[in-house]
This record gives sequence, structure tokens and C-alpha cells, in this order.
Amino acid sequence: MSNPNMKLLYVVLALAILISVLAPFLASSDPDGLESAAEKVIGEERFAELEEAEAAIDSPMPDYSIEGKGKLGEIIAICLGTIGILAISFGLGKIIKA
Amino acid sequence: MHIPDSFMPLSQALIYWAIAIPFIFMSLRWARRDMDDMKIPILAALSAGIFAIQALNIPIGMGTSGHMVGAALVAIIFGSPFAGVLVLTLVLLVQGIVFADGGITVMGANILNMGVISGSIGYYGFVALRKRNIDIKVSAFIGAWLGLFISSIATAIEMSLAGTFPLVPGIVAMGTFHFVIGIIGEGLITAIAIGAIAKARPDLVDDKAVEASKEVTL
Repeated sequence: MSNPNMKLLYVVLALAILISVLAPFLASSDPDGLESAAEKVIGEERFAELEEAEAAIDSPMPDYSIEGKGKLGEIIAICLGTIGILAISFGLGKIIKA
Repeated sequence: MHIPDSFMPLSQALIYWAIAIPFIFMSLRWARRDMDDMKIPILAALSAGIFAIQALNIPIGMGTSGHMVGAALVAIIFGSPFAGVLVLTLVLLVQGIVFADGGITVMGANILNMGVISGSIGYYGFVALRKRNIDIKVSAFIGAWLGLFISSIATAIEMSLAGTFPLVPGIVAMGTFHFVIGIIGEGLITAIAIGAIAKARPDLVDDKAVEASKEVTL
């Protein structure tokens, strides 16, 4: 039996990959709402301090980028994330029903 | 609205984990009860789509940008706020661990704000409006917008408790930016997505929750 929802998956995946490829070019580099609020209410200096603080772990692709790979690295990073999360949620669904 | 680790002391971050974990547990229980082979592709599609769209920051003026959260959209399509919690938990885990977007110790707070609060308010707002026979796209827009706005206020209060933001200026700044982000990034995209899905696959947004609650009240 074919699942009509697989078609929805393919359509949304195509759209998600398109967004993943375009995001490095289209996404605004302005600070997000929380960062802008921080800059405004605690001052740029203190905000910069907090921003520079060490993260709890080292991420392999911080800020959706691959070191030294520029825009292409960003495209690859976001595409990997999109496909990875698809695989994880699909797998989780299968495991939880098994 | 992804809080980084440095914005909150560990002791408080753990408290938000303690609040978030029961919701994560309930979202897994929801999946075990409601998920089936037919619905798994929808869950996977929405997770991938939301991860991608969260990478697309939209400029909102005032030197600020913002992106969709998406928990309300997921909750509306699956007819349960726990669906939004599940998808946002998975997305935030990957973002935090792989991409350093949102902290690890504060992930409980991020799951609470974006998964639980924005999704639940978005979903119940949508259902309340649909019960009053308000257009499905308008209901989705208002619900999703309100969910994002309220979750930004919650984040501002948490930032104040953490000693990072002063309370009132924090609420004003967060509220102002997310009032606008909620319109463009959350409300509009949720309404367009719900409109498109309602057209192509009306069976996926057939307002089962609304119908059920109507029957109960009658």
C-alpha cells in the first residue's frame, strides 16, 4: 500500500532543501530579537562579553558554517541539518511505534 | 529567540530542564499513542521544513531579524500541542549540539519557550478562533502570532530572573521585536502553510479537535 503522505514528504523536503541552499544568501545577518534586546538593555559591551563566552560544548559546525568553506560550507551545513533532522524524526517515529 | 548558555546561570538552567522534561516525556507518549506509519512522513517533513526555515532570518527593521519557530504549525496539523513540543525538542537538540545555535545547559528553557509555550498558545488560540467560525488562515495567523509574542515575554521574564536583563526594559524590547517577528516570521508563514495544506490535503487540517470540542459543549 502506498502512503499518500510520502508525496507530502517529498514536496516539503524539496522546499526545505531549496530554503537550505538559499538561506546563506537570503538570511538577514542582523541580530535576532533576543540579541537585539540584549544589546539594547544590557549595553553592547556586556552583550559582547556574553556572546564571546565559551559554549558548554564544541559544536562541529558552529553558526551553520564549516570553517574555511565560506558560503558553500554554509549550504552544506544547513542541508546536512535538514536531512539529518528528517532522518532523526523519521527514525524516532519508527522506533516509537516498533 | 535561542538563549545561549552564557545568558543563564547553570542552577536556573537546570530548573527549566526540570520543567521541560515532563513535557518532553508527554510528547513521546503522544507520539507512541498517535503516531502511525501514515503519519511518520508528515512528522519528518515538518521537522525538516522547520529546521530549514529557522535558518532563514527575515529582516524586520530596527536593525533586527527573526525567524519562524513553527511549533504552532506542527501542533495545528497534528491536533496536539505535544506534536509541537516533540518537533521543537528534536530541532533544538540538533541546533544546539551540531550548530551552536541555542545553548546546551539552557536547552530546557528554549524547549519550554519555543516548544511548549509558543506551540500551546498557538494551538489553543487557533482552536478557540475556529470554534467561533473564524477563517482557518486568520485563526492560524493570530494563534501563531500570539504564541510567539507570549513566548518572547516569557523569555524576557526568564532573562530577568537570570539577572541578565532588567525586567521592564527587557519585556519592552523583547515584546517590541517579537511583536513584529510574530507577524512576518510566524503568523504569515503559518497562515500560508495552513492555507496551502488545507487546499492540497484538506484531510490533514480537518479541525478534528474543534469538532470534538463542539460536540462536547452541545
